[in-house]
Amino acid sequence: MKVDVLENILSVNEKLAEENRELFDKKKIFVINLMASPGAGKTSFILKTIAGIKDKFKVAVIEGDVASQVDAEKIKAHGIPSVQINTGGACHLEANMIKNALKHLDLDNVDVLVIENVGNLVCPADFKLGEDLKVLILSIPEGDDKPLKYPLMFAETDVLILNKIDLLELSDFDQDRVKDVTYKLNPDLKTFKLSCKSDQGIKEWVDWLIGRIDEAI
Amino acid sequence: MHELGITENIISIVLKHGEKEDAKKITKITLKIGELTQVVGDCIQFYFDQLSKDTIAENAELVIEYVPIKVRCADCGSEKEASNYDFTCPSCGAICTEFTAGREFLVDDIEVE
Repeated sequence: MKVDVLENILSVNEKLAEENRELFDKKKIFVINLMASPGAGKTSFILKTIAGIKDKFKVAVIEGDVASQVDAEKIKAHGIPSVQINTGGACHLEANMIKNALKHLDLDNVDVLVIENVGNLVCPADFKLGEDLKVLILSIPEGDDKPLKYPLMFAETDVLILNKIDLLELSDFDQDRVKDVTYKLNPDLKTFKLSCKSDQGIKEWVDWLIGRIDEAI
Repeated sequence: MHELGITENIISIVLKHGEKEDAKKITKITLKIGELTQVVGDCIQFYFDQLSKDTIAENAELVIEYVPIKVRCADCGSEKEASNYDFTCPSCGAICTEFTAGREFLVDDIEVE
């Protein structure tokens, strides 16, 4: 006897992501899901972003790593509330992990929540967390072929940050190649070129982000 | 990727529906998997064989229907199957931004005794 099921296999995560979303809407919190390879500059980028927006908005950070407290401690050292999730082997964050981490934050005093996902260009693309904005960092030393190799991530993200732009002279990175490929995957993609070391391009990113947050909350 | 966790979810879903029907055995499970999900069917079969042991889903035939990525052009309305992540509209050359198929990821139906 045939029985219709028609049930989404990832429905559990999607349902939890929606619950997170409802909580964020209720508390008027703008949420960023930040993704990139290990070493692309996620934590440095978060620190630069916070420096640019903290006079206007109260920020908190959820850090996701397989192990260690390294990143959360870096954030806390700047006086920003931070919760570290250790996934113990999982290569991406999921909505239930975020739901649990939120219990450790005073959400009535948060305007912007940055979630630093586990360093990975593959898996985070599949798992919604309840975010407003997906931001993907690609750093110059990683090479210009990453959009071809990891198309889903580049197709799904809202913003692409080309980081370590100060290293362009030392590399063969072809910006036009990235532009062409990402346009074909994601014509609405917003791209910012910057360096967390030299501060080049940071202001443009921060100004745009402030505008986006103001619209949302 | 994550086929182990995914297979655990599949088994949980089919057992739930099987139990609702008072099934003694689940003989067939049909999955619809869109190409955009990047899920590998062979891995699901492998984990399914392990995880279904001692359940009513043990030895069920696992049928995976892959759904190709289909896109629609917002400019001229043309649709096409987008192989190799090529979303260029065949009629007007714009980039198709609407996915009309390829994101499916569900247990479609089961057959029970």
